Amino acid sequence: MSTLEVKNLHVKAKEEKKEILTGVNLKMSTGEIHAIMGPNGTGKSTLSESIMGNPNYEILEGDILINGQSIVGLPVDQRARAGLFLAMQYPAEIPGITNAEFIRAAINSRRSEDDQMSIPEFLQKLDRTLKTLDMTEEMSERYLNEGFSGGEKKRNEILQLMMIEPKFAILDEIDSGLDIDALKVVSRGVNEMRGPEFGSLIITHYQRLLNYIKPDVVHVMMGGKIVKSGDADLAVKLEDEGYAGLRDELGLDVKLVDEE
Amino acid sequence: MTVQTQTAQDIKKYAQLTNEPEWFTKMRYEAHQEVADLALPNFQKIKYHSWPINVTRKLSIGDHELNNEELATIQANVVQVGSKIIQHELPAEFKEKGVIICDWQTALQQHPELIKKYFMTEATKPTENRLNAEHVAHLTSGLLIYVPKNVVLKQPLTSYFFQDARVPQDYVHHLLLIADSGSELSYLENTGTIGSKASPANIIEEVIAEPDSHIKFASVDRLGENTTAYLNRRGYLKRNARIDWSMGMMNDCNIVGDFDSELVGEGSHAEVKVVAISTGDQVQGIDTRVTNYGKHSLGNILQHGVILARSSLIFNGIGHIVHGARGAEAQQESRVLMLSTKARGDANPILLIDDNDVVAGHAASVGRVDEQKMYYLMSRGLDKKTAERLVIRGFLGPVLSALPSKEVRQILADMIERKLVNGQQDE
Repeated sequence: MSTLEVKNLHVKAKEEKKEILTGVNLKMSTGEIHAIMGPNGTGKSTLSESIMGNPNYEILEGDILINGQSIVGLPVDQRARAGLFLAMQYPAEIPGITNAEFIRAAINSRRSEDDQMSIPEFLQKLDRTLKTLDMTEEMSERYLNEGFSGGEKKRNEILQLMMIEPKFAILDEIDSGLDIDALKVVSRGVNEMRGPEFGSLIITHYQRLLNYIKPDVVHVMMGGKIVKSGDADLAVKLEDEGYAGLRDELGLDVKLVDEE
Repeated sequence: MTVQTQTAQDIKKYAQLTNEPEWFTKMRYEAHQEVADLALPNFQKIKYHSWPINVTRKLSIGDHELNNEELATIQANVVQVGSKIIQHELPAEFKEKGVIICDWQTALQQHPELIKKYFMTEATKPTENRLNAEHVAHLTSGLLIYVPKNVVLKQPLTSYFFQDARVPQDYVHHLLLIADSGSELSYLENTGTIGSKASPANIIEEVIAEPDSHIKFASVDRLGENTTAYLNRRGYLKRNARIDWSMGMMNDCNIVGDFDSELVGEGSHAEVKVVAISTGDQVQGIDTRVTNYGKHSLGNILQHGVILARSSLIFNGIGHIVHGARGAEAQQESRVLMLSTKARGDANPILLIDDNDVVAGHAASVGRVDEQKMYYLMSRGLDKKTAERLVIRGFLGPVLSALPSKEVRQILADMIERKLVNGQQDE
């Protein structure tokens, strides 16, 4: 079992002054799926990027730990090799390298020189995973995300996730821009990953995704921190009452971005 | 009594030793006399005038023994070290069809008519600039390739030219490639350096495309670190002739590359693709020009380059359409990717249009590696250098994928990887 822990995390964007995360605390273990919900502009994506190590964000205070070891001093590639994965909202397009080549390089970057995954083993696994995600073989031979539709990119993130098999996967609004069929496919992929060696932190606006990926814990973020945690029912309640309802119930002084 | 310069005496001695035909020695003297009055060629933004690029040493015979195991493994039809051909195995097809391939001294003895007709008479001239004149005066090594009329060669021809820098000597090398009317040839050339003595290399390569001929010319240049090179490649294209240039500038030295295509004939067509990687402290200045003289002639330049460490890379792209070249077209794209803040890159488009009824266009850029791309690749576990090489591969992709031969594409991709891995160690 592995753990991912966020302690009193304060973060701002490199170019700006305003603190976006104002003290996030979170602890999860492999075998668990946590969801983070919250209104727009509350710092959900900043949290996921900060955990992954996006250089555009600066940690002002607090710590991020995997199995008790701080990772805040590590660059993004080392965090990835330590077991983190971030399915991004806006994956980059990289011409000149095929999806398959890239995924194999990513897998092998975690293995020692004399334990590289062989091509037949890789292809077998790739085939299986493509089928799970209703993706064609052709998709793996295309250049990495180049010319992919929004939905294809999301699917491709899950393909990478399933191939790389990280300890902890953060899914940053993986449901945005997906139709209901694609949502089911993506959820199928994540559910297949469930197990004692895998944990996931799912960031979403809507409860809908959580109908397909049942979370063990639901956290609600507002104003740059987690204001309430609960079980899956919390998400349902939020869907009914909205964020404003919860805010007022908790007596928080937080302005919601989309509020008039 | 005439006062002879040291060089004139050297030429005389060399001509005697090699039993050189008098008419060629005379060309040398004439060129040598012009040297002092000629200026170095000027290329915009390429500052090389202070380099030790002039050839001054005595003409070398180049009879140095070879004992290099690496050479034995080279797969090529022609391997030339200095002036000496050490391997010469042509496909049967070449012999059957009367293709001529020989070293320079043999060419002078046995094919004077070809040399007299083509050697620096059309594609370039001995007096065009100082380096050209020095070239003729000091030329000691070369290769003649002649493909007869209507001969279509299916097998590609591969050559390796090695500058011998195990002893201090100038490398002055000439390639004269003639594709006669209606012929077709695919040619792959490799240049390199053996040894590490500081020396200039003065290489002029003339590619003559007679009417309706088609030449695929690919090159991988890997001259050594202590060389200072002038590499002048000239295509001379007659009616409906075509040259596809694919050049990989993978040198480790300071070099001026002057790659020009003279689109003389109506309907002639040149595609010029250049990939360049500069590393360490080196400077690679590349001046690529297409000049449209012929009606409906077409010249396209596509060059992408990457710079690491403290190196420089300058791409000039010149599209020149002369008056009367109606219906001509000249397009160019030059792009430079910088991986280091200490590197210097230039992509300099120059369009000179002297006719109205033409099409011309250009694109140029110098940029840094996209941080978002790096972040994305690294977020999957790839280390920074591997991620950089992938971004570079993507950047060079449009040139590589446009190369006409799959084999050349692979060779270049391997060379790029090797040069990048070496270059990154110096970051």
